[in-house]
Amino acid sequence: MSFLRIHAQPGRTAVWTLSWFLFATGIILYFYVAQERHRENPDERVMPTIGQMVRGFSDAALKPAEEEEVQTTSGSSLLSRFRSSMLWKDTEASGRRFLISVALLFPAVLLGLHMAMFPVIGAFFLRFILFFDKIVALSLLPILFIAFGIDELSKIMLIVIGVAPTIILDTFNLSKSVPSEQIVKGFTLGASDFSIAYRIVFKQILPRVLNSIRLNLKAVMLFLFAGEMIASTDGLAYRIALLRRHMGMDTIIPYVLWVALLLFLVDFAMNTINHKLHPWFEAA
Amino acid sequence: MLAFLTNRFRINPKSLTLPCGRGPVMIALMIALMGSAPAATPSFTVGWSVYVGWNPYYYMAKSGILRKWADKYGINIRVQRFDYAPSLDAFVAKNIDACAMTNMEALDMPAAAGVDTTAVIVGDYSNGNDAVIVRQNLTLAQIPGKQVMLVEKTVSQYLFERAMAINGLGAQIRRVHYLNTSDSDIASAFLTNPDKPVVVTWKPLVSQILKAKDVKVVFNSSQIPGEILDLLVVRSEVLNRADGSGQKFAKAVTGAWYELLKLMSTAGPGADKVLAGIAEASQDSLASYKEQLSTTHMFYTPQAALDIASSPDLKKTMDLVRQFCFQHGLLGEKTKSVDDVAVQFPGGAVLGKPDRIRLRFSTTYMQLAAQGKL
Repeated sequence: MSFLRIHAQPGRTAVWTLSWFLFATGIILYFYVAQERHRENPDERVMPTIGQMVRGFSDAALKPAEEEEVQTTSGSSLLSRFRSSMLWKDTEASGRRFLISVALLFPAVLLGLHMAMFPVIGAFFLRFILFFDKIVALSLLPILFIAFGIDELSKIMLIVIGVAPTIILDTFNLSKSVPSEQIVKGFTLGASDFSIAYRIVFKQILPRVLNSIRLNLKAVMLFLFAGEMIASTDGLAYRIALLRRHMGMDTIIPYVLWVALLLFLVDFAMNTINHKLHPWFEAA
Repeated sequence: MLAFLTNRFRINPKSLTLPCGRGPVMIALMIALMGSAPAATPSFTVGWSVYVGWNPYYYMAKSGILRKWADKYGINIRVQRFDYAPSLDAFVAKNIDACAMTNMEALDMPAAAGVDTTAVIVGDYSNGNDAVIVRQNLTLAQIPGKQVMLVEKTVSQYLFERAMAINGLGAQIRRVHYLNTSDSDIASAFLTNPDKPVVVTWKPLVSQILKAKDVKVVFNSSQIPGEILDLLVVRSEVLNRADGSGQKFAKAVTGAWYELLKLMSTAGPGADKVLAGIAEASQDSLASYKEQLSTTHMFYTPQAALDIASSPDLKKTMDLVRQFCFQHGLLGEKTKSVDDVAVQFPGGAVLGKPDRIRLRFSTTYMQLAAQGKL
């Protein structure tokens, strides 16, 4: 039974097979149950077949959005048809909110750094942010509506309020963990306050901070979806909420997979950039 | 995907017998999941969600009235509260046997998804519960070009578009910008955003919004009486079970329903006690529940419900509703013709293709109740 031990060394094929096993089981089980349900009810909607999902997805990705006047007809290229489709418009709307929110997380990093380096700033913010971090932003929606309306701003603020405290506190802890000897050494070599903060501490923690933002992308996405489901006129979650109303699972499942793919790509890109920028950084 | 599957399995192992009844593996799994085999008494589940016309289901179960009727027919009936959308999902996924829903959702959710559905009880119609509310004395004609907050593709949108059509503004509907807003937040979202001029929603949210200054109702469901019907629907296959238990279930629920409605409508302190018990279903006060009842046309007697269910108006209503559903794609992308999801009325008349009947209005059980034969 040595293959179950810590020192087991599965071969390439074994690793490949094992890692795809749950995917295959899930997919097979899904289509088995879907097929049985379709046999029993030809209009079955809860578990669409692969054909229906492909059709649902190609309709979403290639047909012009319904509000649009018919300008793109059969002649245009695949790309331009995609660019006038419902899927692209939704992705664009959600993507814009997503990117703005992630961009707004960077000031949070700087705040965390300054809180750790400058005791007065730390004293001013730390206790409040520790408290704020524990507030479940979603339950205070009516107050958010007063402050930020129900248009774009409130959706972005919901994300920022939900995720920024985590990032601030994480940056704070990472900055604190830089050995004080380094800071003392920096001062003896004549560094100023800001060169200590930015050129010694910040440089060291940056890869870990990027990693922490990367791990929080899922939270960003959750808040974004929550915001779009509450009130919106476009976006990926808006579409899913609408489709749910008539059990459009044939489009919802591909949408969910599309979102997963996009998230995976962003995650992958951030990871790659992080490694390129900081080749000395080894943590996963 | 996997989580979705296991979830399904756990919620109701019983339903597995339908899609995968043959496999011995599945049977083993089923037994493993269920622990021990249940007693032979057939059990049924009724799903309901908070709404003035459906809250009685809560009290029906709590007061023991339902128990009494279920015992009479030798079955078990469980009543379970859901949020509205999940209750529809559960019904379409066949996790529950009966569900309270409107005529519109009965058509565009289960019926359009191929789940043959029978409306057993016509409980009430919205007689002012649903309303179009505006700020600053706006008129319907001024709405095009402005933002309207509502839960898209629901009865709210139906009400709004009917309001426009009745007032000769049908052609303007496409200039209205809908802002899809979740019903759990729509009241606070409207009240805190003065730049949003119009909202369409239902009670008790309407009452809450009307407490604000400078808002008024420009259209409500009492102007389209009988079009937004609240039903109790049962899956037809449950009703047609060979052992007759499904029919017993329908009889028991109908019996319990009209017993409770009689208690509700008999004047006196007894009724107030019952109404307070029902109001508890939505954490409402007696006064607030009574206010909601005042804009709900309850069919307190089986005869009243029979009258509307067998009147020709029902056919006109359902035609409006199915055209609305079809135009808004609610019957599904695959449905190429409005006739593909056909509706059958008491007496046998059919709207749509006779071989594709998916929604049936049945008066059988209300009839039995009216004749006192339950």
